Order: sequence, then C-alpha cells, then structure tokens
Amino acid sequence: MSEIDLKVIDHLEKLCRIQCTDQEKKDLLQRLRQVVDYIHLLDQIDTEHVAPCIRVQQSLQKNTLREDVVKDQLSKETFLKNSPAHIGGMIQVPSVIDKEERT
Amino acid sequence: MKELWQPVIGLEIHAQLNTQSKIFSSAPNRFGDEPNTNISTVCTGQPGALPVLNKEAVKKAVQFGLGIEGTISEVSTFDRKSYFYPDSPRNFQITQFYHPIIHGGKVIAEIDGKEQEFYIDHVHLEDDSGSLKHFTSFGGVDYNRAGSPLIEIVSKPCMHSPKEAAAYATAVKSILEYLDISDCNMDEGSIRFDANVSVRKLGETSLRPKTEIKNLNSFNFLQLALEAEIERQINLYTKHPEKEPKELIKQGTYRWDGAHKKIFLMRVKEHAEDYRYCPEPDLPPLILTKKYIKALEKNLPELPREQYKRYIANFHLSPYASQLLTNDKKLASYFEKGAALSTSPQSLCNLITVEFAGQLKDTGTTVFSLGIPPEHIAKLSNLIENKTITGKIAKLIVEDMIKNPQKDPEAIFKENPNYQPLSNESEIEAIIDKILAQNAQSIIDYKAGKKRAFGFLVGQVMQATQGKADPAIVNDLLNKKIENSN
Amino acid sequence: MNNDLYRFSAKKINELFLKDVITATEIAEYYLSRIESHNGQLGAFLQVLSERVLQKAKRLDQKKKENKPLGKLAGIPIAIKDNIHIENQITTCGSAFLENYVAPFDATVVRLLEQEDALLIGKTNLDEFAMGSSTENSAFFPTRNPWDLTCTPGGSSGGSAASVAARLCPISLGSDTGGSIRQPAAFTKTVGFKPTYGRVSRYGLVAFASSLDQIGPIANYCEDIGLIMEVIGSCCEKDATSLNLPNESYQENIPASFENITVGIPSNFIKNLGKENKAFQDSIHILKSLNAHVIDIDLDVLKHSIATYYILATAEASTNLARFDGIRYGNRSSKAKTIDEVYKFSRQEGFGKEVKSRIMLGTYVLSAGHKAHLYMKAQKLRQMIIDAFDKAFSTCDFIVLPTSPSSAFTIGSLQDPLDLYFQDIFTICANLAGIPAISIPSGFDNHQKPLGIQIMGPQLHDVAVVKYATVLEKAFSIADKIPPLFDREVNRG
Repeated sequence: MSEIDLKVIDHLEKLCRIQCTDQEKKDLLQRLRQVVDYIHLLDQIDTEHVAPCIRVQQSLQKNTLREDVVKDQLSKETFLKNSPAHIGGMIQVPSVIDKEERT
Repeated sequence: MKELWQPVIGLEIHAQLNTQSKIFSSAPNRFGDEPNTNISTVCTGQPGALPVLNKEAVKKAVQFGLGIEGTISEVSTFDRKSYFYPDSPRNFQITQFYHPIIHGGKVIAEIDGKEQEFYIDHVHLEDDSGSLKHFTSFGGVDYNRAGSPLIEIVSKPCMHSPKEAAAYATAVKSILEYLDISDCNMDEGSIRFDANVSVRKLGETSLRPKTEIKNLNSFNFLQLALEAEIERQINLYTKHPEKEPKELIKQGTYRWDGAHKKIFLMRVKEHAEDYRYCPEPDLPPLILTKKYIKALEKNLPELPREQYKRYIANFHLSPYASQLLTNDKKLASYFEKGAALSTSPQSLCNLITVEFAGQLKDTGTTVFSLGIPPEHIAKLSNLIENKTITGKIAKLIVEDMIKNPQKDPEAIFKENPNYQPLSNESEIEAIIDKILAQNAQSIIDYKAGKKRAFGFLVGQVMQATQGKADPAIVNDLLNKKIENSN
Repeated sequence: MNNDLYRFSAKKINELFLKDVITATEIAEYYLSRIESHNGQLGAFLQVLSERVLQKAKRLDQKKKENKPLGKLAGIPIAIKDNIHIENQITTCGSAFLENYVAPFDATVVRLLEQEDALLIGKTNLDEFAMGSSTENSAFFPTRNPWDLTCTPGGSSGGSAASVAARLCPISLGSDTGGSIRQPAAFTKTVGFKPTYGRVSRYGLVAFASSLDQIGPIANYCEDIGLIMEVIGSCCEKDATSLNLPNESYQENIPASFENITVGIPSNFIKNLGKENKAFQDSIHILKSLNAHVIDIDLDVLKHSIATYYILATAEASTNLARFDGIRYGNRSSKAKTIDEVYKFSRQEGFGKEVKSRIMLGTYVLSAGHKAHLYMKAQKLRQMIIDAFDKAFSTCDFIVLPTSPSSAFTIGSLQDPLDLYFQDIFTICANLAGIPAISIPSGFDNHQKPLGIQIMGPQLHDVAVVKYATVLEKAFSIADKIPPLFDREVNRG
C-alpha cells in the first residue's frame, strides 16, 4: 500500500516550490506511487549491521582543503548579466512582506 | 505565597570567523562594500560551481574547540540544510548536522564573585547567508556576506537567569577574541545570539515548552529580551494556572524589538521545520589527525581564564578587576603593555578601570579611541607609586590626559606649578600648626581613642595644601605634633 | 586530401595536422559543414560554435606556422555536452529554465582541452539536467539515433554519442550519473568511458547527483578515449572530490590478449537478460579466445541498485536543483508578483515533467514526513554494493556486463518510469561503487542496431580498463563501421 496521497503531493509541492496544476498533481501522484512502492522493496533487506556509505572513494584519505587566499572572484557585471532583474548592484526581488527569518 | 520559577536558557551563538576568504570559496570574507563585489561562482550558487573547504576556517574551529576543552572530531562531515530564501544562493545551507567538528566542552564565567561552569553541546562549521534589504516596493539581495565562515556554538540548556546567559556569552566572546577566531564586532553582526528559553517551577525536573528568540546582537539586548520573555512566560502561567503549558506557550520564533523593549512573535511552529538534511556530496568527510590537533593545542594562545588567573597571581589584582580586564582582549592587552613599564600593576589597573573609565563614562570615548598610549598611563602609575604625586593630583593629570591624549603625564606634571608636591617640611609644619590650633577638640578626641579624628586632621591639612602635600610627611609630622602636644 | 576525414580517429586527425597534410581551419570547416548538413535530421547539437572554433583554428594554424609548441589535442574537434560550461557560451542543460544562461566560467575539463589545443566545436543535446535515458527529455528537441532515425540514441548524453557515431566530430564529452555515457555509447556503436569517481574534475559540470556524476569521453576508437583521458584525468583544486593521482599513459604497452587476466561474470544477476543474452554469450566466447580466465562471481545485491540509485540520485538532485529559483539567473516567471510566486511559477515553467517528478521524489525521500528513512537505507545499500564489488575484485581483475538490457528503442516507446529506469540496470552499479567502466561496441542485433559490452575495473584502474577495452575492440573488429546514412562525404560548395 502506498503511503502517498494528494496531501503528500501538496506538501511536496510546497517544499520544492513548484506550482502544479490539478492534472499534473494527479500524474505525479500516480508516478510517485509507482516509484515509491518500488523503492520500498528495500525495506525487506537486512541492513542492520551495515554502516551507511559516507564516502565512495576509498583512496581519498587526505583532506582536500583550500589555502585561505583571495582569488578567482566573480565580477559583479558577470554576475548581474544573467540576472532577471537587478537594481543598484543588487538582485531585485518582489517585496518580502513576510520578513520571516531563518536560521 | 509567591511561587518560585526557574528559567531554563540555552544559547546558540553564531560567530563569524575572521579568515581572509570565505568558507567554501576564495572570495574575500569582507562586507560592507558595494553590493555583490565580494563574490565568487560558489557563493552566488552558480550551477557547476563546487565548494572547497577553507583550511583556516577548520583551524579556527579546532582552536575554539581546544579553548573550551571540547572533543575534536577526527572525522566530521558536512550536510545540506534545505530552505528557500532569496539570500540563500543555493537554497540550502552547508552545515554540519550529523557529525559536527566539536562535541562537548565548557566555559567558565564568574557571576557575583562565584565561578560557574557552563556546558557546550557541540560546535559546528557552516556558511552564512547573503543579505536581503527591504525597500518599500521591492527587495534587494547582496551576496557579499554569503559564504562567510561561521561557527555555531550550541550550549546545553544550562543557564538559569539572564545574568548567567550574559556572563556565559561574554566568556565565549572573550575566548573567540583571545584565540583570534572572530572579530567579535557586535555592531557588524559578527556575533549573533539565538536564545531558547522556558521557565518551570523550582523543583520540576522536566522542561516546559520553550520559545526561541532570534538574532540578538548585543549583550544588552540578550539580557533585556530574556528578562522580558521570562516575565511573559511566568505571567501566563500565574494567570492561567488551570491551563496546560503547551496551550499557553506557543512554540515559535520571536524577535526582540529594541525600540519598544518588547519581544514579538515572528511565527508559530506548527510542526518541526522540514529542512531535509542530507550529506553534502561535494565535500568529503573532514579528517583531523591527532598530530594536527596536538600541534594546535601546543601553540594555543593564552585563554582569558588563564590570563585572569595570572593577573591575580602575578599582579595581585582583585578577581573583580582581573575579570573586568580579561573580559575584553583589547583592554587586557592594553593593560599588559602598560604593566610592562609600571612599577605598580594594581595602581595601573586602578587608573585604567576606575579613573579613566570613570571620567570617560558617558562620553562615548575610551582610552583606545582617544589614542592614549598605555605607556603614558604606566608612567602616571609610577608617579603615584614613587610618591611624586598624590592621588588628588593624579586625578587632575588624568583629566589633562583626556583633554590632550598624546601628552606625556610626566610633562603635564612638570609644566604645571600647581601640581608640584609640597615636600618642604617647614612649610607643611606651619600649616599643621594652624590646623591643630583650629581643631583642639579633635586632638582630645584622638587621644581619647577616636582614631577617626586623625583622618579628619589629615584631610584638613590636605585640603589646606590643595592635595599637594606628601601624605607621608603629613602623617609623620601630625603624629609627632599630637604626641608632643600637651 | 580531405577525402574520408570523417573515417579517421582523433589521433589520426591530429597526426595529419601535425604533418601539415591539413590545416586546423580546414579540419574545423570540414566538420562544421558535416554538422550543418546532418544535424537537422539528428538533433545532436544544441549549439554549434562556428565562429569560436574557426577563430581557435586560425590561432592554431598561426601557432604552427611560427613553430610554437602545440598541445596534445591540436586540431581535434571535440563536442561538449550542454551541461558543461564553456565560458561566455550558453549552457542550457537541455532545460527551458537555462535557455539564456551564459556560463560565467570554464569547466576544468574545458580549460584542459583548450590548453591542449582542441577545437571545441559545439554543445550537444541531452535529457534535461541529464535526467533520462533517451535524450527525449530535452526541452528543445529529441536527438535521433544515427543507426535508425526512428530510435533514440539513449541518454542522457545522447547528443554527444550521436554526434560521434555520425562522425560529426571524433570525440565528445558526456556525463554519466547512472549510465548516461555508456548506454548511449552502446546504442550508437561508440565507445563511452565513465572514469573512477574523482578522476575527472566536476568543476563546471552542472550537477545532477554529485556523488554519482562523472564526466567522461565518447569516441569511435578506444585509442581516442586514452588520448583525451590523459588530458582531462588530472587533479583539480576546485573540486574537493578530485583525486590527486600520478599521470599514467593510456596508450603505451597495450597488451596483445587477456593472458593472465581473470574476468568475473555475475551470471546469476544477468540470467534474466532475455533476448540479448546470446550476443553477450558470444562476447564471452571472444574473451575466452583472447585467453581470459572467466569466472562466475556473486553480485546479486545489484538487483537493488536501481532502487538505491533512485533514492540517492533524486535526493541529491532535489537539493542541487533548488538553486534554479528565478532569483539570480535563469527563468523568472512574468506572472510572479511575490517571492513565493517567483519560485513556484518560475520552476513550474522552467522544468520539464521528468525533472519535476524527480525533484518531488528526492524531496519525498529526504522529507521528515515519512517514517521509512529511505535515504539512510539507500546509503547502507550503497555500502553493501561497494563491499560486494570489493569482494568480487579480490578474485578477478575485471567484471564484464552488458551495457544495456536491449538495443536502442523507438522514440516515445518507453513511457513507464520503471521501464525507463530499468534501462540502467547494468550501468548504475559502477556509479554507486565509483568504479571505472567502459562500454565498447560488441556487435549488432537482428535489426542491425548496435549492442555494447562493459568492462569494469576496481577504483583507480582506469588505465587498465581502457587498455583491455582496446584489446577487446580489436577482437570485435567493428570499430570502422559507420551508420550508412552518414557514411558519405558532404557535398560542399
């Protein structure tokens, strides 16, 4: 039995900020149900004594850190060239009414 | 009967590390410049750009970990924390959620003369967001700050008063300063506090619902906000004893409104935020060898607590004065520069923390901002110590030094005839004779055992000499005169 | 003089240039005209860099005239998958979202190719953000298979594979997250190599699933794979997962046979292969005739690789693609009035169906809402797969698998997502384990559609994998076969 219903789709739509039409939601529901049912087959496998993979490269045991030097800056002009709207060197966005803070 | 309530406070302190470049890119770690000028492909979230961790940021985080006697993780990992906001260039923050770089640790602070330990849960590395500026009809996003290295220092809920919270935060700040980890510039937001606070009846063992006050950027605000929130919670509980705590205290995010001295609710948390943490695949686990950690430990600069102890032991300063100096690295190193030249560190400390601080109070200036060389204050302390001048004259010279910050106190002393001490014994003797003649009763009182009468007489003499008489001579002569009188 | 240039390997073209038989400008013009006459029916290129490549060719000819030292890839036209940045050129990723995005920097691979004097000739088509196995999910147009224009070339590097197969360029770069280089290589009778994870810098590759993505080459000949790997397989300080390895030659001392080499075949895992099983068995016979010691190995855990892959890849993708929000670059919906609408509408308009559904799936597996901890489970499965490969490689030098369960399928024929995902059953495991894997053409099916076979080696054994692929390529002796539709000179002028 799939745990996915339209409520889940609504929640996902909000989390990933993609507006969907009703038809799209129905299609997504069907698709996700099918795929999620399939990936849940993994539930049957005993992985209790397996450590989750945190690194695929067995040979990379040395850190690849960066020296603390300033270089390779992106110019403001190059950055703004791709922007849909900018003003006074800043990226322009609609007013944020909800000045909600994140962490 | 009034119930006794116990506040429970935990702090999350975000401190910006003072590296040259950002945490995951080589853009300058500097803001306040023209918008979007200190940026790179990484900190503007360009597709195809990859984060590479700054060695120096790691070093500073480890140094902090050593400074709080925390456990340095030999393997730590980075994770993505997802949320959408315009100043978040990738719409995820790179942080350390599952395996932070530091576990545990403690900070010691002195509260009302008593040492108290506060416990750290963990410390992790993460990147800062850009900044969104609000204009009337639009918003503007600047990514200069995006990618600045931060450590987040998460305490255990181990504080029980706003005063303790402020003392803990002050102690953390001075560790950050002493280890040269952060500029600790509160005005520029290089340290920010988030406070979690709840109250419970004294004796209760479980915790009641907490609220979160975000983005406090001064010790004063921290203390005021906590006081207000604690009072608000206690009032709610006392007014509605019949209600369930979770009905009264809505778990949510609050902000402190400094102008209205009030906290206000930003948003209620319906359920836990869904940040969808997952490992950051672009950054391999960070591996720190024992050798690396040992080497940093060996070369760790002196910590405020060690300096505090040294001041008491070597300079014989009071615990209070030692604390005052070591709370502020700049002040302590100012003091040390002077102490190297001063014959009396206590007198020097007194001049800096009492005389100068007192006279400069409410002027908005300090000995640093005026540019008074610490060597000058040391010279002044020596003038007092070798009895060239009296305390009274010292006060006047302090005043002159404030007016003329570059001037040597020795020169000030020499140039002003009024500051010359009266050490001519016969001159002083004449004045004493006069005072004794006017205060026969005091002599009788003194002889009758009223010791204070002697002090009164000294005071009279000093007043008559405008404070210039050498107190030792005055004492000496007065004693002789009184003994011989009869 | 130019006759049959299209038949030559990249190495040969470079030799002709060095010997003054042909100029770089002539090479560039020759391939540009082939692209011009064939790309319309093929849809392999999204953008042809005519002006840029001619300028580079001119500089190269000048350099040569002045007897200045020339790079290792001098005069070789190379096509780049359009999810890899060339500075100041548009990188679309096959997405409407990035239709006008001008890359602000060169990918490390592009920088390395430029340094060695390659002629970057164009940007090739792909499934949107490399998500797909058919190149039908491009927002612009599908790419067709040069061997049968009614079929897909596979994907997601379908444009890169088709351009090489149709001899519109001798080498191209693709990216491989779950088989996106090897499966289209098999479908188009080209050689496709996915190096060890970390061998080639990902800096400048627009990420799909960062822990699985790897850039690699597609060519008609194994020698060309070796040639370009010697250039692009170098350590990069801008990619923290890049490996710092000594330079090795891929081209010297190619062995004559599989003498003293043990090849493992996971026969239980592939037993339900179906109709293509016979072709695979034929290949095993050829291996044996080359003196390979063939043994059976246990890789049954690979039956879980698709589920594992779709959890990990979509989770990473959902976070990687969150940056496409319409704020800093890319599509911003004109309907949007609020910040939230900028996100919602721009992403709705800019992303295709497959991308949206994978973002949703990835968000779902990471969301705190469900109790299954799917992501953690998949990480554990990934470790089990890595361990299984480790164990297998303790008994054999290489593992040989088919590249794809079938030959190229008809455009529009695979609609069911699971059927499409099943396309990757033999390729995904190399990405999960981070090991090098090459697909080389092994023959044709009854419909004259190409088939491929994969050689996989342990991590870091890239050179050995390519060298032994060269041995096998020689034995199959079909490397010179060219799709009939494209096996002719273009009438010029």
